[in-house]
Amino acid sequence: MNKLPLVFTGIFFIFGSAWLGLVGNPVKNLGNLQPVPDEATDGVLPPTVSGLAVAGQKVYVANGCVECHSQQVRLAPLTTDIAKEIGTRQTVARDYLREKTALPGLQRVGQDLSNYGARAGEDINAIHRHLYEPRSVNPWSNMPSYSFLYKVVKIQGELSNEAVIGLTGPHAPKPGYEVVPTEQAKALVAYLLSLNQTYPLPESPVAAK
Amino acid sequence: MITDSSSQPDTLTATERARIDASTAGAVLLFFGSAAFWLVFGSVFEFVGAIQLVYPGFLDGLSFLTYGRVVQTATTVLAYGFATPAAIGIAIWLSARLCKVPLAHHRLLVSAGIVWNLGILVGACAILAGNSTSLPLLAMPAFATPILFVSYALIAIWILNTFRERKPGALFVSQWMVFAAVLAFPWLFGTASAVLVWNPVAAPAQPAIALWFSSGFLNLWLVPIGLAAAFYIVPKATGLPVASHHLNLLGFWTLLIFGAWTGGSQIIGGPLPSWISGVGVVAAIMLLIPAFAVVLNLHFTLQGHYAPIAWSPALRFVVTGIGCLATYWALAAINAIPGVNAVTQFSDIHRGLNHLAHYGFFAMTAFGAIYYIVPRLTGNEWPSTKAIASHFWLAATGIGCIATGFLLGGLIQGFALSEPIVTFRSSMEFAWPLRFLAMFGSLLTLTAAVNFLFLFAGILLETRKNQAPAFLAEREENSQEPVAV
Repeated sequence: MNKLPLVFTGIFFIFGSAWLGLVGNPVKNLGNLQPVPDEATDGVLPPTVSGLAVAGQKVYVANGCVECHSQQVRLAPLTTDIAKEIGTRQTVARDYLREKTALPGLQRVGQDLSNYGARAGEDINAIHRHLYEPRSVNPWSNMPSYSFLYKVVKIQGELSNEAVIGLTGPHAPKPGYEVVPTEQAKALVAYLLSLNQTYPLPESPVAAK
Repeated sequence: MITDSSSQPDTLTATERARIDASTAGAVLLFFGSAAFWLVFGSVFEFVGAIQLVYPGFLDGLSFLTYGRVVQTATTVLAYGFATPAAIGIAIWLSARLCKVPLAHHRLLVSAGIVWNLGILVGACAILAGNSTSLPLLAMPAFATPILFVSYALIAIWILNTFRERKPGALFVSQWMVFAAVLAFPWLFGTASAVLVWNPVAAPAQPAIALWFSSGFLNLWLVPIGLAAAFYIVPKATGLPVASHHLNLLGFWTLLIFGAWTGGSQIIGGPLPSWISGVGVVAAIMLLIPAFAVVLNLHFTLQGHYAPIAWSPALRFVVTGIGCLATYWALAAINAIPGVNAVTQFSDIHRGLNHLAHYGFFAMTAFGAIYYIVPRLTGNEWPSTKAIASHFWLAATGIGCIATGFLLGGLIQGFALSEPIVTFRSSMEFAWPLRFLAMFGSLLTLTAAVNFLFLFAGILLETRKNQAPAFLAEREENSQEPVAV
């Protein structure tokens, strides 16, 4: 090992093979995945998401939500993700076609969000309340407040129809004031509601109950 | 071919050493000094994040101090503000010493160092302001990374040029390690920046590349540089050659071969073709081969000569660092077994392992190298042995608390997360006391970082004219170099 060109050649082939395998191959194969046609609705799977949800992912990315929330349902029966009702089927690469940035996540300090849209329900106000003051929804929650995505404004006559109601805790507005979501908060909620993998994909059919 | 010179770091005369050290002094001190500064900066954010993990109401409601941004700032600054400049400093110094040539045009490297630090400043502010990419270890936005890349290109060219100009003779193991790392970093950072940050590929392809990068950043950049420092300092401290040339060869090549493929072991059962995680699992377990080769080789070199740990700060830090690396590799191999990983993935074990590798191994080894190198560049000794000893104990206890807290807490949390009848709330509550312990550990490592910054300022400003080398205890035998600490 006294000839530098020899060492260089060895290093080059070792790095090069891993590079082809873990960068080149995914770019070529996974990077060209396409949505599959959906016969039931004449649309595609995964379904395309709204522009507001795309904007919402930027808010999600900017605030580092991925540091606590994963977005992947792992293989069963190796893992208990499906038994824990995080999702009904394994998340596969094609599911990320809906996103600009794939955020599979490395932590579950908070709950997995891959199917948040499927379990959130219709109550938009409750989602805003959760983001503004998590402990007014779950007293035990360890999520920080995202009150900076909201404006506290003086109530002009009647309560605005966008106002977040039912807030308690240290960030709750003073009497005579109301909390209204900014465009960022609305986009974030649209993004969270778009997180829904209840549709089937050929490579990952919905697990039978 | 086994020769004496390939198992001995270098055999320069005092005049030659002085001439080479004088040429690297400016650039290396700049990189080490900025590393010491960013270590404090990053540790502050690390501590704030650790508090927020335990008390989520702490400083919440402020956009730039929200948990996600704080944690990403801490990770980014510690990786690119502290670890990378420390690694660059070590690489410059080691390559000049081992290639036996003074650094040419070192002022250019100083400029590259200044540019690098500007890049970190821009990157850290951008993440706090909400421009993060949220990719692991690549959170800096597209306008900050090119600054780092340009600066690094200059640094790498200079180090490789030193290799080109080297004096004839056998290549020492530290030289292979530095050479591989200096080539690996631009390969990893350039590729990942190009396809994930500058011009992102379609999202389904991103996780594989992100994991290839984050595991390569550790296994192919920080680990080889840390080992290069260890293989230089250990023989210097004992005055004996590295025990086995064959173990060196085995350790070096298996580290590169398996280190490059471990990424997939972090996404078992996840949204990637299963062969990627399969290869990752095999690679993570096979890393036990370089682990044994390296640790046994250093142990055989030190066998019967562990005494200098008592007085040499450099050796004490390096041995602690290598111990953490061995622990990390062993735990990472266990964690890669699919049945185990199904329970531990997404738990605090991930944090615990990261801390063990990045702080327990790399930072500790780099501290050891800095304690060894800096007095040779400034010509004066460390101002206070007590402060070095307190730095060691604060850092070691801190990483001990963090690793214990996250590994143990993560195990409990992992079982709670995977057991269908246990609620999510319980997984949080079980982990809480051990996260509190980790928070205390972060306070200790922050204190250690401040302590280190003061020591570094002290030696640069010559606060105390301390003629004797800063030994932690009475020295019992001579080490190879007269001023070795």
